[in-house]
Amino acid sequence: MARFRPFHAIAVLALLGVAAFPLYWMFVTSLTPSARLFGAAPQMLPDLAQLPVYLDALTTTSLRHWLFNSMVVAVGTTVLSLLLAVLPAYALSRLKFPGLLLLGFVLFLTQMLPEAMLVVPLYDIFARLGLLNTLLGLILANTAFTVPVVTWILKGAIDAVPGEIEEAAHIDGCSRLGIVLTVVVPLIAPTLAAAAVIAFFHGWNEYVFAQTFISDDQLRTASVGLASFVGELSTPVHTVMAVGFIYTLPAVVFYLFVQRYVVAGMTSGGVKG
Amino acid sequence: MTLNRLLTPLAAAGALLLAAGAASAQTKSVVTFAASHFAEVGRGDRLKAWVEKFNKENPDVEVKPITIPFSSFATTIFTQMGGGGGPDIIRFDLPEFYAAVAAKSVLPWDGVINDADYKFTSADKFMFVGGKRYGIAFDTANYAMVFNAALVPGGKAPANFDEFLAAAKAATKDGNYGFAFRATMAERGGMWYDLTNFVYGFGGRWSKPDGTPTFNSPEVIAGITAYKQVYDAGVTPKGTDAATYRRMFWEGKIAMEIDNGGVATILTSEGKAHPIGAAHSPFPHREQGMILAPATINANTKVKDAAVKFLRWALQPQQQQELQTLLGAANVATVVPRTAAELDAMPWLKVYDAQTPYSVPALPQGLETKAPEIQQIVVAQVLKVLQGGMAPKAAMDETQRLVTTRVLGQ
Repeated sequence: MARFRPFHAIAVLALLGVAAFPLYWMFVTSLTPSARLFGAAPQMLPDLAQLPVYLDALTTTSLRHWLFNSMVVAVGTTVLSLLLAVLPAYALSRLKFPGLLLLGFVLFLTQMLPEAMLVVPLYDIFARLGLLNTLLGLILANTAFTVPVVTWILKGAIDAVPGEIEEAAHIDGCSRLGIVLTVVVPLIAPTLAAAAVIAFFHGWNEYVFAQTFISDDQLRTASVGLASFVGELSTPVHTVMAVGFIYTLPAVVFYLFVQRYVVAGMTSGGVKG
Repeated sequence: MTLNRLLTPLAAAGALLLAAGAASAQTKSVVTFAASHFAEVGRGDRLKAWVEKFNKENPDVEVKPITIPFSSFATTIFTQMGGGGGPDIIRFDLPEFYAAVAAKSVLPWDGVINDADYKFTSADKFMFVGGKRYGIAFDTANYAMVFNAALVPGGKAPANFDEFLAAAKAATKDGNYGFAFRATMAERGGMWYDLTNFVYGFGGRWSKPDGTPTFNSPEVIAGITAYKQVYDAGVTPKGTDAATYRRMFWEGKIAMEIDNGGVATILTSEGKAHPIGAAHSPFPHREQGMILAPATINANTKVKDAAVKFLRWALQPQQQQELQTLLGAANVATVVPRTAAELDAMPWLKVYDAQTPYSVPALPQGLETKAPEIQQIVVAQVLKVLQGGMAPKAAMDETQRLVTTRVLGQ
């Protein structure tokens, strides 16, 4: 039986508090009456009588559209990234060919340039391809940034898969593609989950492309919709905080859903064989 | 995790992707119109309703308001224009207008309107570059002081800078602040206007009419010194952004602000519970900056004729009257007298209207196309004064040097 270590428990609770406090503060602020919003003493407890502000946020703004759009973009980015990254990751891990290292390096080129630098040429290309004002365009742009990272994460996991398993499958008549899809992919599933989290959060939080490529209000993502409340003349603080709080929830739920795989994925490859 | 468990969410996501494609389909031809106003609570909805009136009257054209957050408005528009797109009609702030003209990103209005058909305001002269019209003044607004009489000692506006500073100090107590202005690089554009009001109020100008920079003239340095005095007096909610301190004002937490007429309209309508008044700014000179926002036609537009149709509609007397009313203490492209009802509802309007002869665009004259670069340098140097303890004279000498060498290449 594990021994209870009070200092560890306190440290964990303190870290949890630091991580969760911004979320709590958002929630409290969203429910603080206007008259006390700028009071000398900060409000530390939520006033639950103000809960209708959440109903207002859901019914009087385009928040539901924005969340749906963000979900489409985030899930689309995740799926496309994983699909596109598996084969290059396998190739980087298993195949030996001239320029292997260079290829791995080139993959990271998009990571070396900030989004702001690529947004103008991408806008031009997307305009020609009819991808402006489409969620598909956002998914493609985000995927370009997540595929290199996901590829390298998966490469690390594939490195840790014993070659003997693949050889056995090969002797049994399995093709190279069959080995990747039916043998390797299931074995690296925890790492796929970890990579999925990275791709999902990138797609969920992305702002610059979403702000620039989308002009139709109904196609805005939640990150841009949230920013649109911060005005020149005034900011509806309660609405911003309520929308911000709601905006974080799907991402938190997604993480809770995959977190057990993520932990396994983060540690996979640490012990080989 | 089995392969099936992995493939199920992938299939669901594939369905979502298809939904994305379907949701993205858009075949309707429209004129897009971007203005930061559209994102504003209240005023944005009224402006959208005004645009919708055009749509109802003109079934062959649909003007579609584009909402872009104010903080990233200029960056987003210029990015889109650089990529060969962007909204068809754009309401710029003046600095971005001149930059867009210089970059040939907006169309000259050759033959778009006949100037003789309209009685334009005096601000219309700023719509011409090289003798060509590039827009109309969609809205202009003067600057004056708004104050909460319940928080200001004696209940009346201070008459000079010393009285102002004393009143701001006296009002700063019990969680209230005496004054608010911008003092962060994050709000560079807004801080530029605040600085300009101080500089003009102390008799300074950013440049001479021929474009010679005067950033280190004694009057400009006096304005910057006054700005620092207010900053150091501890009478402002430091770090608070303008949208938030404006709300604090109408919640009765801030005693005084120097702001434009559009803002004053919001402050007075939202802060009805407080005795809010207006007075001219408490500086030695009456001159103050002004908001001047031109409506322009994007050079990348594919629907110029439809855009022109909307702009001609907007210039009709009835639409101008309605636009001016919905914007509040602002003026529009043409001369529109205030109605008795407006003056009754907003008696402080007279203060803002009386400021018109003293309103000067907040740009360095003769250097308008360089305004964004100059703003960056000036604000950075002033922040060194406010937060780094640099002497105002040294900072403005450095500003003069940087503008002369880096911006003008002399």
